[in-house]
Amino acid sequence: MLLEVRDLHVEFRTRDGVAKAVNGVTYGVDAGETLAVLGESGSGKSVTAQAVMGILDIPPGRITGGEILFQDRDLLTLKEDERRKIRGAEMAMIFQDALSSLNPVLTVGDQLGEMFVVHRGMSRKDARARAVELMDRVRIPAAKERVRQYPHQFSGGMRQRIMIAMAMALEPKLIIADEPTTALDVTVQAQVMELLAELQRELHMGLILITHDLGVVADVADRIAVMYAGRIVESAPVHDIYKAPAHPYTRGLLDSIPRLDQKGQELYAIKGLPPNLMHIPPGCAFHPRCPMAQDVCRTDEPPLYEVDEERGSACHFWRECLHG
Amino acid sequence: MASTSAAPAAPVASPTEPILEVTGLVKHYPLTRGVVFRKQVGAVKAVDGVDFTLSRGETLGIVGESGCGKSTVAKMLVNLEKPTAGRIRYKGEDVTKLSGRALRAVRRNIQMVFQDPYTSLNPRMTVGDIIGEPYEIHPEVAPKGDRRKKVQDLLDVVGLNPEYINRYPHQFSGGQRQRIGIARGLALRPEVIVADEPVSALDVSVQAQVINLMANLQSEFDLSYIFIAHDLSIVRHISDRVAVMYLGRIVETGRDAEIYEHPTHPYTQALLSAVPVPDPEAREHRERIILSGDVPSPTNIPSGCRFRTRCWKAQDRCALEVPALAVPAEFRHTGGPAAHDSACHFAEEKQVVPPEEPREDHGNERA
Repeated sequence: MLLEVRDLHVEFRTRDGVAKAVNGVTYGVDAGETLAVLGESGSGKSVTAQAVMGILDIPPGRITGGEILFQDRDLLTLKEDERRKIRGAEMAMIFQDALSSLNPVLTVGDQLGEMFVVHRGMSRKDARARAVELMDRVRIPAAKERVRQYPHQFSGGMRQRIMIAMAMALEPKLIIADEPTTALDVTVQAQVMELLAELQRELHMGLILITHDLGVVADVADRIAVMYAGRIVESAPVHDIYKAPAHPYTRGLLDSIPRLDQKGQELYAIKGLPPNLMHIPPGCAFHPRCPMAQDVCRTDEPPLYEVDEERGSACHFWRECLHG
Repeated sequence: MASTSAAPAAPVASPTEPILEVTGLVKHYPLTRGVVFRKQVGAVKAVDGVDFTLSRGETLGIVGESGCGKSTVAKMLVNLEKPTAGRIRYKGEDVTKLSGRALRAVRRNIQMVFQDPYTSLNPRMTVGDIIGEPYEIHPEVAPKGDRRKKVQDLLDVVGLNPEYINRYPHQFSGGQRQRIGIARGLALRPEVIVADEPVSALDVSVQAQVINLMANLQSEFDLSYIFIAHDLSIVRHISDRVAVMYLGRIVETGRDAEIYEHPTHPYTQALLSAVPVPDPEAREHRERIILSGDVPSPTNIPSGCRFRTRCWKAQDRCALEVPALAVPAEFRHTGGPAAHDSACHFAEEKQVVPPEEPREDHGNERA
């Protein structure tokens, strides 16, 4: 395994109390594999990623337990300067909002070149040449001229390409993309996802794709981890989960997608709201919204049951769910 | 909910007459240079000639990417922006020419629901004041003593606890706030609701709740909707007819099945093919049209067909002649679902969305 997160716990101490954002997350990615982490806002999908990258705001955040093994080294035991060497060179992140992730007062060439100056000790001139190469590689037209331009002179899709170029610059082994196409229009979204998938294949990288879009997941992922209230509730190969979900939350998400044969009828809707992370319901966190909930769900937190070798579901009634 | 109803102020339209008729709608924002002597050096052509009609009880979906002008159309419909040219007829009366009391009477009947439930509600007003504010402007709808009751009824209608009337917006989740926005839109018992991306800021599990609410309200109050969104599957679910916009113009319009299953305009085809399908089996055998480049700037619109710079079918004719939005000649006689308005010189039918096989039902019951 390239990356293995084991039983990770993260909480945020705020004035109003302790928000338990991540409550025992376990997942792994291999080289060349795409893992989609699916969840709604507040499910802990981005916080987990930030902990992996080592960019969590501490305080108010606090990692209260678990391990993050990257190439068999526990990142949480490393010193900050050791982690800095890994960040960028070995693992990189692509953020949702390219405009606010790029520095508005530096040219894109300077920002791309900085990677080579800092991590590889290159001269500014060589770094500039590498920046042009990178921009070519992510298919930005007229890279030689545009390398001197500022972020605001690029369109949204082009800015996201620059973010991808920056993440790829040092050919890392792992890329974490946090909603990389959510801010883009559909036609541009398709361009950017295609580019990302292509570069991943070429460089044989592990990719963690964080998203809330079931369509994007079905398009590119190998495996899915579905998160709810800071836990993985279901983990499975992508084909299995769409065919027959083994957790009622996954099933609810899939059923609430509008379908052609259901036009004009009421959409299936998961009742209620996602839980407040300061007061996560006892037992199974999903039980107040679950159509299958029984007494045991209100008291006993379900472990991640093994459905088969490749699948897990954190539902006491995964069998009933799987077989409808 | 008969208690919240009041007779509409405007004359009743005959059932065949469209409730809303938009012709030649244009909005240009001038670009100026100079401080003392300002002179116009160009224009952002946000909306550049849009026509459509809306019938009573109908839902028209408007789809398009950012910058295509769909939100500007919405703002002009509710009179938040003055059109540069064109007519908006509400039951035959040109709204753009009205002012004063007559305008106010019409505006009462066309209300808006905004995209972002976080910024469209005043954080310092209670929910009761937010939903009741329209009554300050249109006191004829609800006499003072009656208002609190009416607001509570509205809260009940949109599925919120009427006791929440004194709470503030920050005490609600995104989905609940959008319900508040919808309640405010309903307060004056309008006939038309313009909803600009009403669910795009919401979580997936909450989107379905709000869509269901809007559908139920439509049948309960006989509402007509203009539903603007970029999520094509949601638009299809709720719309009777769909208009696809590109750079300030409608490029294709028709009934929902005509647009989704028999698109004839290359932009519609590209848009539909780019939408990720929540079915991993479709990954291999799906044809995707990936457009090159970005949408051109609305200050500098290409000559002829405005889509030609990104179109794989473009020929010389496309740079010279603006294609009219009409049923293309080749389909005019054949009829069938491909015979709908499409602004392309080389329109041809192409199925891009694979015909959907009934997905396995996972057992959740649908009402």
